[in-house]
Amino acid sequence: MSTVVAEPSPPPAQQDDPAAPPARRKDPHAWLKLALPLLVAVVFLFAWDTAVRISASEVFPRPLEVAKGIRELIQKGLLVRYIVASLFRVTWGFGLAVLVGVPFGLFLGWFSRAYQAFNPMIQIFRPISPIAWIPVAILWFGITDIAPIFLIFLASVFPITVSATAAVMNMQQVYLRAAQNFGLRGLPLFRRVILPAALPQIITGIRIALGVAWLVVVAAEMIAVNSGLGYLIIDARNAGKRYDLVVAGMVMIGLIGLVLDLLVRRLENFDEVRWGYANK
Amino acid sequence: MSSVVHIRDLWMSFPGKESGQQIHVLEHIDLEVTPGEFVCIVGPSGCGKSTLLNIIGGFLTQTRGEALVEGQPVHGPDPRRIFVFQENGVFPWLTVRENIGFGLLAKPEEEREKTVAHYTEMVGLNGFENAYPRELSGGMRQRVEIARALAANPDIIYMDEPFGALDFITRLKMRADLVRIWQAEKKTILFVTHDIEEAVQLADRVIIMSRRPATIQKVVPVNLPRPRDLDSAGYLQTRDEIFQSMGMSVRIGF
Amino acid sequence: MSLRKTLFLFFTGWLIVISALHARLNPDSVRDFRELVASLRRDKTVVTTDKFKIGFLPVTCHLTCPVTDFINQQLTGGSTFQPIRFNSWPELKESYLAGHTPATFILAPMAIALREQGVPIKIVYLGHRDGTAVMVHKDSQIFRMEDLRGKRVAVPNRYSNQRLLFFRALKLANMTIADIQLVEMPPPDMPAALYSKSVDAICSGEPFMGQTELDGYGRVLWLTKDVWPNFISCVLAVRDDVIQTRRTDVQALVDGIAKSGKWLDKSMDHRMSAAQFVSKNYYMQDPRLLIFVLSKPPDRVKYTRLTPLKPDFEEIEMLGKESGILKGTAHFEDYVDPTFADAATEHADAWNFEGPKP
Repeated sequence: MSTVVAEPSPPPAQQDDPAAPPARRKDPHAWLKLALPLLVAVVFLFAWDTAVRISASEVFPRPLEVAKGIRELIQKGLLVRYIVASLFRVTWGFGLAVLVGVPFGLFLGWFSRAYQAFNPMIQIFRPISPIAWIPVAILWFGITDIAPIFLIFLASVFPITVSATAAVMNMQQVYLRAAQNFGLRGLPLFRRVILPAALPQIITGIRIALGVAWLVVVAAEMIAVNSGLGYLIIDARNAGKRYDLVVAGMVMIGLIGLVLDLLVRRLENFDEVRWGYANK
Repeated sequence: MSSVVHIRDLWMSFPGKESGQQIHVLEHIDLEVTPGEFVCIVGPSGCGKSTLLNIIGGFLTQTRGEALVEGQPVHGPDPRRIFVFQENGVFPWLTVRENIGFGLLAKPEEEREKTVAHYTEMVGLNGFENAYPRELSGGMRQRVEIARALAANPDIIYMDEPFGALDFITRLKMRADLVRIWQAEKKTILFVTHDIEEAVQLADRVIIMSRRPATIQKVVPVNLPRPRDLDSAGYLQTRDEIFQSMGMSVRIGF
Repeated sequence: MSLRKTLFLFFTGWLIVISALHARLNPDSVRDFRELVASLRRDKTVVTTDKFKIGFLPVTCHLTCPVTDFINQQLTGGSTFQPIRFNSWPELKESYLAGHTPATFILAPMAIALREQGVPIKIVYLGHRDGTAVMVHKDSQIFRMEDLRGKRVAVPNRYSNQRLLFFRALKLANMTIADIQLVEMPPPDMPAALYSKSVDAICSGEPFMGQTELDGYGRVLWLTKDVWPNFISCVLAVRDDVIQTRRTDVQALVDGIAKSGKWLDKSMDHRMSAAQFVSKNYYMQDPRLLIFVLSKPPDRVKYTRLTPLKPDFEEIEMLGKESGILKGTAHFEDYVDPTFADAATEHADAWNFEGPKP
């Protein structure tokens, strides 16, 4: 019996020794990973600057003016204040969307009758832009933080629900059968098999939804709140010729969006879900 | 000895694409399996042998007839009979250890660890306990599934072309391992394959099914000593007998 | 660490940190939230907070609102009302309809239209007089009203008096609405639209018109006072129920606005002082803008004679009917409550205030 143990493992389909964690050879050109995007950014800034210079626009700001605008916002202490406000609203709106969307999506994915009942309504609500909800948000929640949180929630809850539903529906039947074979049913079946099997796709949905949530922050902060990056943009439009601040707000939204995406992408590296993504 | 699996006049049909149309897959199947027996079911691709195993395993319900396992009609899957899937049913979000111990969560931790260690060693996966399935080769993943099935201590193991996706060498080795494990564990095994050589290497008895709608065409007992010599006259004779009864000649090929 | 644990710990930690930071850096939001909770608990329909909120936009038509708040705070260390800055008309109107801002500065025709639609709204005072200009691009060949024939003209809103102003100007020039192309556009977007020549003329409240002049690409075609002397664009409106239940507060508000108006028109020094503190504390604009529109010329916008008068509103009603935004079912007596204005005229004098404490 021990002969098998002593033997080397059968020739694996993958070439690397499967015992070692998936080989991460040191890429000799790792620095390119940072340098290439930076190069693109520099070229973009240069093109932007040149375009404004050539057109001799008196309204559109040049990159340096935007940088000065950002410095001005930092000096006034506004930048941190606005970023915190926007992140606060997105955190709550998006967090609530996850709390509602994931269980609801799993529920719809599992019970096909519930899916039949709810899906048309979801598809009706889903394409409605958060901007269209602004009057409703004001009428219900007034001019507090809750109105933008509500809008961000609405924008992100549908992608999350839909992805969770699809994740359960597309789950490989073999996992379900294996679990049922071991006598699992009800809540343990959900917790130990359905949820983990659906998790990779749910996380992809969450990543997309976070992008959407961050996308609608400008629209959500059109409501009379007095802080936030979206507010910064709308406020700067009111402030006469301060398009440098408008673009500064855009730049900050973009940069933070990038950071958020990188953070969520890290989730995909966890062993529990990494199997669900190709080439990882 | 009373039979552990008892199939009586079993019929199965699926609704076709057009309304009212029925596709007859299985017709008039009678089958007995005795405890501890290793039975292989062979037949041409798509003949319905997997369907039969799925009915016995409780994942499908027959149209007509009876399927009794351990004296009881089959009503859905049962932890006392574990199915090993063709597509590999190892959970990719669990480690090898967690997969093998999957059916043992009700057991005390100490016992669970002992059982897991025992079967990990039996299938030769020592050192891979904390690996995830995606880090393993196809053969190793199949061993995890077999170990997971064994660890649950079932009376019967159903195997649906478990080595179908493996390369030739790995397949040979997996067969040898399976026979060794079966001899040690004394489980009843129902094994579906389209590979006649595989069936002859493994089984006490080979059930040959016909093309669709499938019936049992012939039952060939394999009374060869184990480990089986693939060059022995007895092996080759049995193999050729099955080939012939399936309407194929070994000499002119398929 | 496992995925679920990491997610849970990270998200919970982040939630606490960001909420605490937000409460610390943006204390207004905490107060708003508390008031919302309190109002929901007490009564779902009427917001009765101790300070009542007044909606306004960062335009010179609403200048008396921040001025009154600021001077109140400087003189008494507090204010009985809380100005809420909006960024566009629809949000301002919706907040009023929902009762979150029981008083608001609003376009006069919009207030009348709301009354026609059954909204409990009463105009108690005017926001200003004049204060609107029509701007064209300095390179354009438009020098008279007649030159606008076939051109695209931007106005803030179909309920804006600027639109009615055009109806009146067209009539004076023997033209009709069919001769020009009116488009609606939020005032903050107008300067950029004029700069890029996507519209030929723009017309809204200040400071957006002055901004184009200040930045060197806009030219005044005409000022309001040339076409419609004593033009009214925005008024102060209050909900009926608030008029009933909080008369003294409303009176204090109207008095404050009246005092601010008189104070603003009393001397150019006051106007310059207001330009500074309002730009910095309320509008978040470059003070140069307000300095410009409040002084060049000094009668571009005026803040006295703010009692609502019947003939002014009858003219608005008439033009409103002509332009199709009013049905004519509401009349001066329905939508105006002049009692506060009358009382204010009696006892409100300009603030005794010479600029903020250093």
